[in-house]
Amino acid sequence: MAAAHDASAIQTKIYEFMDVLRDASINISSDEVLSLFHALSHISLLDKSVFRQTLKTTLVKDYTDIPIFDRCFDEFFSGGGDPQIDVVNAFREMHARDTVRERGGMTPEEMAGIEEALADFIDRLPDEILFERSPEEILNLMIDELAQAESSGGLGQMLFNVRNRNRAAAGSGQRAEEGPDDMADIVNALSALVNRRQSSKKIGTQIRDREDYLLNKPIYQIKPEEIREMRELIKRFGQKLKNRISLRKKRVKHGGIDIKRTLRTSLQYGGVPFKIFRKDRRIDRPQLVVMCDISGSVNQYSRFMLLLAYTLQSLFSKVRSFAFISNIVEITPLFMEMDPERALNSIFEDTNFTYGWGSNYGRCFDNFMKDYSDSLTRKTTVLVLGDGRNNHQDPGLDSFIRIRERSRNLLWLNPDRKHLWNWADSIAYLYREYCDEMKEVNNFLDLSEFIDKLFLDL
Amino acid sequence: MFDSVKSTIEGLAAQKYIASEEIATTVYLALKMEKPILVEGPAGVGKTELGKCIAAALNMDLIRLQCYEGLDESKALYEWEYAKQLLYTQILKDKLSAIMQHETTMAKAVERLSQEDDVFFSNKFLLPRPILKAITSPNRTLLLLDEIDKSDSEFEAFLLEVLSDFQVSIPEIGTIRADTKPVVFLTSNNAREMSDALKRRCLHLYIDYPSRELEERIVSLKVPQCGEKLRTDVVRAVHKIRELQLKKEPSISETLDWAQALVILGINDLTHDVAVETLNFILKYEKDIDHAKKHSKNIFVH
Repeated sequence: MAAAHDASAIQTKIYEFMDVLRDASINISSDEVLSLFHALSHISLLDKSVFRQTLKTTLVKDYTDIPIFDRCFDEFFSGGGDPQIDVVNAFREMHARDTVRERGGMTPEEMAGIEEALADFIDRLPDEILFERSPEEILNLMIDELAQAESSGGLGQMLFNVRNRNRAAAGSGQRAEEGPDDMADIVNALSALVNRRQSSKKIGTQIRDREDYLLNKPIYQIKPEEIREMRELIKRFGQKLKNRISLRKKRVKHGGIDIKRTLRTSLQYGGVPFKIFRKDRRIDRPQLVVMCDISGSVNQYSRFMLLLAYTLQSLFSKVRSFAFISNIVEITPLFMEMDPERALNSIFEDTNFTYGWGSNYGRCFDNFMKDYSDSLTRKTTVLVLGDGRNNHQDPGLDSFIRIRERSRNLLWLNPDRKHLWNWADSIAYLYREYCDEMKEVNNFLDLSEFIDKLFLDL
Repeated sequence: MFDSVKSTIEGLAAQKYIASEEIATTVYLALKMEKPILVEGPAGVGKTELGKCIAAALNMDLIRLQCYEGLDESKALYEWEYAKQLLYTQILKDKLSAIMQHETTMAKAVERLSQEDDVFFSNKFLLPRPILKAITSPNRTLLLLDEIDKSDSEFEAFLLEVLSDFQVSIPEIGTIRADTKPVVFLTSNNAREMSDALKRRCLHLYIDYPSRELEERIVSLKVPQCGEKLRTDVVRAVHKIRELQLKKEPSISETLDWAQALVILGINDLTHDVAVETLNFILKYEKDIDHAKKHSKNIFVH
């Protein structure tokens, strides 16, 4: 009996943990849940590192999710790494459960019913209520709701009575020791259970919220201390994006005849080419030319774009990148030799981008056509990053139009708000007429969506 | 068969494979649950080696299939042995006409013949390729599908049947089921993401670079001539180099190469100068070497 009780306690705990993972947006299918429970029967639960690896190996199938899993596991199964707290918490929870059950004179089934109701209720609560109210307040909210719902029956009524009696006792200055009434204890214990649920729900949600926050934050507002975290995220997110796109890569079987294979198979039919095989023609991977304005106003933004472009490098058949302020310089070789991040840093060390003062788009487009027009083919997608603030200089429209003519498509990402596109020295609208698209992109999520779409259209 | 995580570690150690507890847990579970393992991780951390060592430790036959673009079922699963079929029909010509001589009409002759055609599409004329071999083998085998990410997604799709049910369906014969389920071991270098369906059927193992302590044990096992001090220095240096932002980080095999080279050169002490001169053993890009040299004061303490 005791063993059965333990087993179900462990099960509950594991289901809770899976909820945490799902909150942190790790997908877990029912197949994987099954194989986890199958696996658990083969190992000793007491060995923590084996237990951890068992969960990891059965539930996490995407290696980019492993750091997230590790964080969730650490927070969920031990209070910040301190085993002492872990034990204390476990006892407190067990104690709370027993208190509720004994004092309320409930059967284990009723107890399970209450816990389930609690879990349900908490799942339905919006985050701002869940994380900002105290456990007691949440318990009250739940009892109110249960009391109103007629279907809740005995359970809701009982909890409702418990609370009212408790309130009355508190109001008249009498405490629980006055009578046989242990209801105050029950409420306390239930609050403890609510508290636990609350904190476990927080783990996964916080990780996800933090990611959402960074991905949605306008890039120019990102603080220096967040940049590091952001880079990690870009790597992880970029990898995911790459994986997703590469899965989607479809092929068309309309190429020329595959002579080797047709002849080989024809042997089966006495040398008659009965079945004709065609070569798979791969959908061409696009070539990408990125031109980044790296002047102060859009610098941070260009860095993230380049980082993303090179994380996705293998999806393109060729990536060439150019950086400019008023001088345009090819920076592709840097990325060939170095890790993208280090390449980004070294751009500023050894190259001179300035010729005169401030950004000069016109001069850069002219120079690009003069020196690097060999990079443009009908497969090339040209991506310009910049705010189009040309400092009242010649826009170099002729060259810009020629770039458009010689490439497959010409896209412009503009970190400025749309209503600022023609403001002050910005001549974004002028360029826009000759682009396939000019898009306002100011956070990382927009950026990755844009890239994702780029591949859909090809 | 391993009977605990601990005995898995020991069994692999006997094959000169030092497994971390994580690796051993997944291997142990996969064997117990009869599920395939999908191993991912950077190049050179010993993914394929792990598969080989499991087979050796459990005394299983190893059937290895190197995946590549364009690999199809006729090379991975089975093929009809056409030449043999043709030869047999030629030889059996007389027998065939004898069987059919009493049939008066064409339709009846065809019907008569179709009663016999099973003969030509039977196991006798089936040429088993690695996957079918692993399934039909009377002994338990380890099927190593190496670099599965290099194969096409069509190939991945017909692997699914093998991975979940350990069976192969051949239209002419029917379904061939495994009597003894093979251990299936897939490795991937992340050139391409595997489909969710495939991942769901496998246990997942990510092998990362080992901890310093583990890597030292690996070096001492594989390059026993390497003294303790040199070993510690080499591993410490490699770990520091991995922290730099490099295009290609040195993996375990590079650590081993380096240690081996230093031993051959008769060096007992990894001094700063020696280390800088032999950096090309562990770093494969010119710029990476330059970068490491720039930071060499921090990396090589002596």
